[in-house]
Amino acid sequence: MSKEKLLIDVGSTYFKVSTSSSIKQHLRDFNKDIFDDLIYKCGEMIHNYPKDDVYICSSANGGLSTLIVGLTHSFSLKYAKNIAFNSGINIIETVVYQDIKDYSIPSDLIDVVIVVGGINSASNIFGDDLYSYLEKLNYSNIVFVGNKKDAPTIAKNIENLVVLPNIIDDKLHIVEENLKEYLTNLYQADIVGKEDIKHLYDITSNQIYSTPYIVNKTLPLIDARFSVVDPFILIDIGGATTDIHYSKDLVDNNIVTQNEYDRLVFKKLGVYKSKESLIFSAKNNEFVYELLTHLKVTENIFEEQSEKALKVLMQLAIFLVLCKMSHYKQAYINLKLLSVNSIVLTGGITKVLNKDEIEGIISFFYKKILSSDHNPTTIMDSNYDIWTMAITDKQSKG
Amino acid sequence: MKVVTGVVGNDIHVVANRLIELSLHARGFEVFNLGVNTYLEEFFDAVVETDADILLISSLNGEAEGWSREIKILKSKYKNLDNLVMVIGGNLVVGTASPETIVPKYKNYGFDLVFHQVDLNTGLDTLEEFLKERNK
Repeated sequence: MSKEKLLIDVGSTYFKVSTSSSIKQHLRDFNKDIFDDLIYKCGEMIHNYPKDDVYICSSANGGLSTLIVGLTHSFSLKYAKNIAFNSGINIIETVVYQDIKDYSIPSDLIDVVIVVGGINSASNIFGDDLYSYLEKLNYSNIVFVGNKKDAPTIAKNIENLVVLPNIIDDKLHIVEENLKEYLTNLYQADIVGKEDIKHLYDITSNQIYSTPYIVNKTLPLIDARFSVVDPFILIDIGGATTDIHYSKDLVDNNIVTQNEYDRLVFKKLGVYKSKESLIFSAKNNEFVYELLTHLKVTENIFEEQSEKALKVLMQLAIFLVLCKMSHYKQAYINLKLLSVNSIVLTGGITKVLNKDEIEGIISFFYKKILSSDHNPTTIMDSNYDIWTMAITDKQSKG
Repeated sequence: MKVVTGVVGNDIHVVANRLIELSLHARGFEVFNLGVNTYLEEFFDAVVETDADILLISSLNGEAEGWSREIKILKSKYKNLDNLVMVIGGNLVVGTASPETIVPKYKNYGFDLVFHQVDLNTGLDTLEEFLKERNK
């Protein structure tokens, strides 16, 4: 028997609250604790549900940051980057160990440092250079996922080091599960460890998950609700971040992993909390002024606080995220965007832009950047079906 | 001893690559086979990750020459490859040329042993002798 459930998504900008009959979203009041704000706005509804039937996910923290120290670009760094990105972690810096003395020390606090290198039969790879670099670095967690033989020495020299199995096997292939689980748990812990989120356990007895994790878990089920033609990408534009989830078929990459879909989180590409950095990125894109002309606005729109300005920011975010994933801009992942058959849009964007406005931008991107008339089908997840499917599916299996 | 091997550049001669791997195994080497279509940086990176003693590059379609010109510059960027034994074998030119022309050219590119159209077992015998001499 299926019981009535209440689903709550805590975003950086909005709460979304879904019951079997409706979905409502509420702009957050940033002067209030998340719990108090939620109870103030939806308390009556929430109190109608027992704790067992309330499911919550959150993306309110915007993700973790990492710095990776590895031996080579082709193996250790490549593999660790792949795992970090797919765990929703933002990579601040990658350091090639042999040149570690030449790197400057990032001033920001790093959430997690990943040290990796060498197959298990290799040894004496890391030494004093690593320790002196780490001494100067400001970080919260550190994990070693390199060769087995060096692990005990490194553990002796680095306080609170977590040692996990090597992510490189003896055939130089990637082994992603252990590090991925660690990073996903760290991300999860970061969300639920926040005082604001902890308080939400007063209204639910279910595990609170991160939203990107939940959405990623829906992708294999997406056919049940939408006419999506593979391969597809899913873009979730929110207040603080833009997430892109994509079929693995779209990547030219020789990394063989078990997951069918990967995701990237662009931390500084949101339309509310990360608005300034989105505008900064936009101004650094040579095609943006042409895009603004295409949208019949000028750059003065960036200064405005209006519905029109929000629409333009959303449109810019679509354009910028596609640029970041295309061959126009060499990045960690370049997707084969000419092979994409469907683009699924979810998140706040579906409440702000209509299908025509989105299709206009996608078609502008394909024409300008990829010089193509390719026209993938656009699918709007206007009722947040992707989020609700995932959270209920996860919980029923969980 | 550890050997990193593979076929350089845009070359898909997978059978020869597999035979080299099997022959090296049979002679007791620990083999890391990067397969076909391998770029130079991947070869050196694999040497670093595995702490290999030998890099054995093969080439069947003559692509090696274009790639080999880059070897000295690329290798100089790595700090711990001074003791690496560098070997190349296969068909090392497009068209024809005598070993007398080819071998010095490739040695100049940075290879210790060069086998142009030499039988695989003969080449590996020579490698083993070279290693024996070197380790005396």
